[in-house]
Amino acid sequence: MVKLEDVADTLLNSAHTVHTRPASTYKPLSTYKLDKGRSYQQQYGDMYFLRLTKIRPAVEEVAEAEWSGTVVAGEEAKRVDRVLDVKQGELCWVVGTVFMAMPLKPDILEDVSKDRWISAPVVPEKYFSNLEENEIMLEDDSGRIRLAGDLLKTVDLVTGCIIAVMGTENTNGELEIVDIQLPNLPPQPERWKLTKPVRKDDDEEMVDSSQSPGSKIAIVSGLSFSASDASHALELNLLLEYLLGEALGPQGQSDVSQISRLIIAGDSIDAAQADEQPEKRGAKKYGYDASAYNALPSQLFDEFLSELLPTIPVTLMPGAQDPANASYPQQPIHAAIFPTARAYAQVPGSKEPGWFDTTTNPWEAEVDGWRMLGTGGQNVDDVFKYVESEDRLSMMEAMCRWRCCAPTAPDTLWSYPFQDDDPFVIKTCPHLYFVGNQPEFGTRVIHGPDDQSVRLITVPSFSHSKEVVIVDTETLDIPLSLRKYGERDAYLMSNPLEILLNHHRHPSEGLG
Amino acid sequence: MEEYKKHLADRLLSEEKPITYRLLSRALNVHVNTAKEMLYEYHKYQNAQKADSIHATYLVYGVKNREISQEDGDVDMSSSMPDQDETPDVVHTNTLTLVREEDLTEILAAYESVSSLHVYSLAPHPQRDLAMLSDAAKSLAAYTIKEQDVSVAAKKFGTILNPHVRRRDRAARPKVAAAAETKLPKPASSAIKPATAPVEDKIKAEPKPTGKSKRDVSAPSSKDSTPVPGPKPAALKRGGSGGIMQSFAKAASQPKRLKVQPKEEDHTTMSDDGEADDDDIAAERPLKESESARTSRKEREEKLRQMMEEDDDDDDADAEKDEHEYGNADDEAMEDAPAPKSEATKEPKNEEISEVVSSTGDGRRRGKRKVMKKKRILDDQGYMEPGWESFSEDEAPAPAKKATPAPTPTASAAAKSKKPSGKGGAQGNLMSFFSKK
Repeated sequence: MVKLEDVADTLLNSAHTVHTRPASTYKPLSTYKLDKGRSYQQQYGDMYFLRLTKIRPAVEEVAEAEWSGTVVAGEEAKRVDRVLDVKQGELCWVVGTVFMAMPLKPDILEDVSKDRWISAPVVPEKYFSNLEENEIMLEDDSGRIRLAGDLLKTVDLVTGCIIAVMGTENTNGELEIVDIQLPNLPPQPERWKLTKPVRKDDDEEMVDSSQSPGSKIAIVSGLSFSASDASHALELNLLLEYLLGEALGPQGQSDVSQISRLIIAGDSIDAAQADEQPEKRGAKKYGYDASAYNALPSQLFDEFLSELLPTIPVTLMPGAQDPANASYPQQPIHAAIFPTARAYAQVPGSKEPGWFDTTTNPWEAEVDGWRMLGTGGQNVDDVFKYVESEDRLSMMEAMCRWRCCAPTAPDTLWSYPFQDDDPFVIKTCPHLYFVGNQPEFGTRVIHGPDDQSVRLITVPSFSHSKEVVIVDTETLDIPLSLRKYGERDAYLMSNPLEILLNHHRHPSEGLG
Repeated sequence: MEEYKKHLADRLLSEEKPITYRLLSRALNVHVNTAKEMLYEYHKYQNAQKADSIHATYLVYGVKNREISQEDGDVDMSSSMPDQDETPDVVHTNTLTLVREEDLTEILAAYESVSSLHVYSLAPHPQRDLAMLSDAAKSLAAYTIKEQDVSVAAKKFGTILNPHVRRRDRAARPKVAAAAETKLPKPASSAIKPATAPVEDKIKAEPKPTGKSKRDVSAPSSKDSTPVPGPKPAALKRGGSGGIMQSFAKAASQPKRLKVQPKEEDHTTMSDDGEADDDDIAAERPLKESESARTSRKEREEKLRQMMEEDDDDDDADAEKDEHEYGNADDEAMEDAPAPKSEATKEPKNEEISEVVSSTGDGRRRGKRKVMKKKRILDDQGYMEPGWESFSEDEAPAPAKKATPAPTPTASAAAKSKKPSGKGGAQGNLMSFFSKK
């Protein structure tokens, strides 16, 4: 409860300090960069093969530790190398790739057999209808076996994740499972693995700087600059003023000056306008109609960026709506879209990342010493369709534990047909994993068996929620021993602070 | 002080347009915080003279009461958090609210604490739709800071200064040119053209058609002739892409000198990638990059040379295949890649993961190995495509096989004797292929 009298003096408080931003140590990794001259003629099968091969040792290790010597009903569980080697009535465990057959899930074989080529694919909101109709199978390069058992109802699985299961084959030829093991979190590098912290002064050590108020990173997604829909134009303005440090009073301005980087996690440009006028009459034009192209959204976005860039470095990831390739991993948005902002972009051929860095989606980097993994949200959205749950943070957690940040690629998530490597396999555990364009903000910290800890963040879409997530770069990660309930901890844990840019309208006022 | 009141009176009472603090600060060249203060003063002053003649909006920033934000349904996630056996995530949600003066007290009541409150805008009429203010922001574009004076703007208007900012600086290179064209940010202005004309000619006359390799050409005349380096890249670009004949000449001369610029080749086809095309930005490359760039160019040249030689391999392999026709298909496939050339010319990538074993046990190794497959495409030019080929073989003999890929002596001898001559032949072919055109 705040009264006007209490705060009236802030109306007349005008210190003129020049705030400066802290440096942002930044090293993007090219994990998801594709070769420019890439070929699309390969088959997708290799991806599954590679993924299984890469993750198998990790699951086997976990399963071996968990199950070796396990005796169920007087029978010891035996390891079986191939899915096809599972013998009826023998207790065994085996590693393989999950395949989900769901009635609502698009099926390429069905499309081919029914000769569905012309119409655009119908994408249901969820593939999941009910548990009974799902068939969950485990496959490797030898074959497939259907999984059965009540355990499956409690564990969310999606196509493409690698798991180990223990069970016996029943008379129906199904593997009746009693336990499941996941690869769990991959090894996590220490902070400052790839980059060096910037010393603030000559003799000031890192240890000291961790006590000083840390710099922060702002993550936003779904800016949705649009030509037709100006409903959140004011909020975008407020966001700009906030980030520039022009809004707010002196104290707020100095807080804002601690934000050392802005990450835009996809969907910056609203592509919806094309769908809005399907009934448009007139001369029908076949092929590409240049007059239908409206450059305004990208111009607005360019203006926004070029105003921000002199004061803050920006990392831009493409999203589902953005002008980039649709299949995962999305490649950087071309700098030509940004005639003015590109002045800050990377010099081609240079090793130094650009001040304005247009990156891939997913994107991996080390920012201020922390390993980060971010996506524009398609991976979570697609996993979301497989499971009954609505808890997206749990899906993100599951992806970390599966060691695969896009398990449903290439089945239902469009993907490049990789041949030599499956980059979606998470080789190093990130410290921060954020996903853009989600319905609401959420955050959680998960832990792994080897003291890994990952902060998960779902970043809401700005155009809907008007929210920005601010992450403190000093307290992002806390040694496991500190994680107890307590005053100090509660403070430390509070690092993602969320700014709700709430454009208030009085209810009685109507929509003027 | 009277001046700003006059300005505001003009704007609000005469023109009847709303004004925001940012607009005022840009119009009067004052700090944003001063502008906010002015708006506040003027609002008080004007309404004292004539009640209700000016209407303000305020920007409130602080932490909202918990229950209020719950009404908005924002905290669902965080409140469900403690169920996990994790530490409860206390997330501070700061809320920025733009509010009309009539609603101010009400909104403030919904706040737990307010860290900042200031006048956002003034308008001659009660503001129905706050979204109208975004139109006012659009007129800001007229005052948009020119790139050069960013730091000045920071001091003047209160924008946060970032001392680390990096640009691909177009103005940084030519001092002379910059002075000459203070108004025009782009280097390729007509004003400089006459000065650079001789240089341009010189470059065109050069035998090497290295049009786009700015470094190469700027190297000889880099420091001693100061007016040159600035506009030159632009000129070069023109020289490189301008003459269509030249580009043909380039293509023709390339195969003769094996050291060509791979980039030029790369970009003859349009790439749909997100990266900027080279020639787009050729002129903007800062000089300090040149060192690393030069080495990377060397690498590229090296790579290209390897590629060219692999092409030879390709032909070789053709010939070889004929000879090996009756050999073990599997072995042969393996050999195609690593066998014939001296290792140095091989791309290491090919050898890195040539075989992935997915399972061993029960006496068999199963997996896939990488092979170089031959593919025929339309124009009858074979190209190499890496792919995986399944294999399943007995475990025992496998290591031996791997250690010494021992083809039959006759075959290897044939291959060896064939190799050098084959290479020469292939090169000859390549040259004749181009010269014919």
